[in-house]
Parts: sequence; structure tokens; C-alpha cells
Amino acid sequence: MIPATISDCFLLALETQMRRTGQGRHLAASVLVLDAPPDRATITAAATALGRRHPLLHAHIRRHFPTLLAHWHPGPCAAVPVIWHEATDDIDALTSRLLESSGIDIFRPGPNLEIHLAPAASGNACHLILLWPHALFDAVGIDLLIDELATAPGEAPARSQPSTGDSAAALPASAAWPAAKPILEEMRGFPAHPVRSLRQSSGPAGAARFKVIRFDPAATARIRDRMAATAGELLLLPYFATLAARAAHAVIRRRQPSPDPAILLSIPVQRFPDPSRRPLFHNHMTPWSLLLEGGELADPSGGSKALYRKYASFMRRKLPAAMDALMALMHRCPSWLYLKPSTHYLKGELCSLYHSHTGNFPSRARVLLGKSITAAWHVPTVSSPPGIGIFFSESGGQLHTTISWRENTLDAAELGILESTLRADLDPGPPTS
Amino acid sequence: MEIQLLTLLREQILAPDALLDADSDLFAAGLDSMGIMQLVLAIEDHFGIALEPTDLSREHFQSATRIAALLRSKS
Repeated sequence: MIPATISDCFLLALETQMRRTGQGRHLAASVLVLDAPPDRATITAAATALGRRHPLLHAHIRRHFPTLLAHWHPGPCAAVPVIWHEATDDIDALTSRLLESSGIDIFRPGPNLEIHLAPAASGNACHLILLWPHALFDAVGIDLLIDELATAPGEAPARSQPSTGDSAAALPASAAWPAAKPILEEMRGFPAHPVRSLRQSSGPAGAARFKVIRFDPAATARIRDRMAATAGELLLLPYFATLAARAAHAVIRRRQPSPDPAILLSIPVQRFPDPSRRPLFHNHMTPWSLLLEGGELADPSGGSKALYRKYASFMRRKLPAAMDALMALMHRCPSWLYLKPSTHYLKGELCSLYHSHTGNFPSRARVLLGKSITAAWHVPTVSSPPGIGIFFSESGGQLHTTISWRENTLDAAELGILESTLRADLDPGPPTS
Repeated sequence: MEIQLLTLLREQILAPDALLDADSDLFAAGLDSMGIMQLVLAIEDHFGIALEPTDLSREHFQSATRIAALLRSKS
């Protein structure tokens, strides 16, 4: 048995809530476009080697009584399933079908990774889709997994050892309570603001839906220039988080013009500062809860500066460590109870939206199974609340934006407002003169 | 100033055993956007110089030497 990390426990609670409210499993897809289909024997060998190397790829998670601690139970050293599909050019439709029909279930023994391949109907390209559960991987882990797939079978990279939990979980309650106090005080201040999400209070949230917006290299270069002029070229996260918050705010405000809704951003930040020491498995993220007033989101420049100040304040007040201490305190909490204090304080909300920018994806691999990677993006699914997530990544100089939502949280007109707000902020288009 | 910056980078942002000199490429050493954010705060605390987001360019943050040049220009 391998102890779950404190972040795994948060995701376990989230998935438990999703299942109790009929939202299904919390899965994600990572899509890579290869310049040609890989050799079938090569990918089968790679998937077999991967499965044999990592028993966690067939693990399931459960809490134990009476300790209530959550552990991953490694499964057999079996091959990761590889499934070939008919040729298609509609990769988003295929990804959607696969997310709905996947057999991955973190509560039962069985594969936690599926590799799907679909040659393009026109041209030579081939799409490789990895399906994975949010509870076992974060985006860094999937990036490392792609490195392993790109490595010849039998050559296990040195950093492929699973994490054995985290030190925060070992804090005794007497030490964790005082350490967690600053974030508790921060959270107690949230209800004074009209925090809203796109969750609909009437009717259950439905199936996971998404839309991928692809920007070509010229548009991506314009987006980068705009970012550099607005927020500086290095602070990727505050800038894109501001644009995501503005897009969500535009839709929420249409539903509820007054009072001007506040946006509570939940941003996952890696706990391992050194990229070379980040583990393949488990989640190692601290969620940063940053609150933006509606007025602070009037334009991208002002919003970025406001978020930059809030980032700095969050760090300066050592709230990341306090959040870790709070998660360490909560990690024994039964999953059905875990999220209730947050949703009670926030009148049914958890945050306003999920957001991330995973930078270059894949960050290292350029060739996979002997074929060049020409594009790649993530399709995370989201829970309701908040019902929406806006995610960014870049590959080969092309920005990909994935809007994820749940059926019944966003109608077609609202999706249109969300997308047009995002597009207008990101890239109003090439100069006309 | 360069030595103080290197100490900050080793102790608070990058790996303590990172092999860095004043001209080392900090991005190659693993400095990411969160690391830059931490560094900006550490600079404010140690040198009393507040940087604006628009000061944060790849050119200015390439190495300890270049960060020090930026700080000298603002002090």
C-alpha cells in the first residue's frame, strides 16, 4: 500500500462528491498529434513495459478503518491497454466519447491509464490520446509519463519511483492547527464577497463537455507580445489566470448583474520547486485560492496587476504552507464530509472556476515512438461546483485553450460570451494597417 | 549584489545544491514563473526594490548578473 498525498485526498473527496451527484468519474485526456502512426508492435511493447514498471498504473484507492487514512493499493504488473480506432479527423468528438466510455475507475482494481490511437482520415498524422484519472496524476506526472513512453522499453528513468506520500500529512494535529490558522482566517473572509461560479442550483450537472481553441503560431506570437506589453513576458500564470477569470466573470455577471460577482480562483501550484525532483505519480499541488473583486477585472492589465499583488500577498503571508497544513489536517476526514465546510461557508460554491497554464506540453519529448509530436493539449474535466475550467498549454509555438464545463452549467449563448471574451483578450487579431 | 542574489536563489527558489555562478542561465536551472514570483518578493525584502510586472523580462532575469544590473538601474 502507498499512502495517498494530501492533494490526492482532496481529489478523492472531489471525485466522491462527483459520483454522489451523478457527475461520473474525474478523468482527463492528453492528446498528442504525431506526424505518422507509430508501429503497432512498438507501442504495444512500450505500453507493456510501462505497466510492468509501475504497479500504480493498475492501483485503486480506498480509506482504511479505523484510521480513515487513504492508500493506493498497487495492482498487478500488467500491460497498459492500447486501443486503435478507425481513422478520423474529428479528434475532439473521439476524445469526448472516450472520456464518457472509459473503464478507468480509481475505486476498483484495473488500469489507470488508457492509450488510444486514431490515424487522421486525411493526411498521415495520427492522434495519440492518453486517458488518466485526476486522482492519480497531475499534469507534471503526465509529462513525465510521456518521457517514459518516449524512452526505449527497459530503460526506466531514475525519477520514476512513486512518491511515498508527503511530510505535511505527518504533522501532528497540535502542530497543524496553528500552522493552518492563517488560511482559515483568509477563508472566513470569503463569504463577505459575492463569490459565484457557473454552477446551476436547479438540476444536476450533466456529462463533461469541452471545447479546444487552437491558435496558430502567428496568433500565438501576437498573444505573447500582448502578454509582454500588459503583464511582462515571464508571469504567464497571473496573466492567463486573469483572462480566464474575466471570461468567467462576463458570464456570471450576465446571470447576476448585481451585486457585481467576485471571482474566487483556484490555481494549482506545484509543491516541488525543482522540476527534476517532481514525482511521476500522485498530486503534488497546493490550491491557491485568490479572490478578485468584479471591479478588479475591468481590463486585462488592471486584472493582471491585481492578481500579481494577490499572488505576492498570498506568498508573503505564507498561505501556501498554511493551506498544506489545512490539507494535512483534513486528509483523514471522510470524503463525503471533506468539502462541506467550504461549500457551507461559500453558500454552495467551492470556487468560481478552475484554471491552469501548464506551459510547454510536452515540456521535453519531441519524438514519441519514433514519430514527431506536432501538437499537443490537455482536456481536463471539471466538477460542478464550479462547473467550469479554463486551461492553457503551448506546443510547438501554438497555444491551446481548453474550456471544460458540465452539461447544464453553461448554455450555448453563455459559451459564446465566454469564448468571445477570451478571444478578444487573448488576440483581437492581426493589425489592420 | 550578485552573490546575495545567488544565495537567495539557492536557499529559497532553486535546489540548494544547484551549481550556479553569476552568469549561469537561470531558466536552464529551473527558474519558472512561480520561482520568479518568489524571487521578486525576496528582492523586495532584501534590497527594498519593488519590481513591476513589466520589469520581468527574459532578458532581465537570464542570470544573476543581469538581475543585478536591473536592480542597480532602479535603485
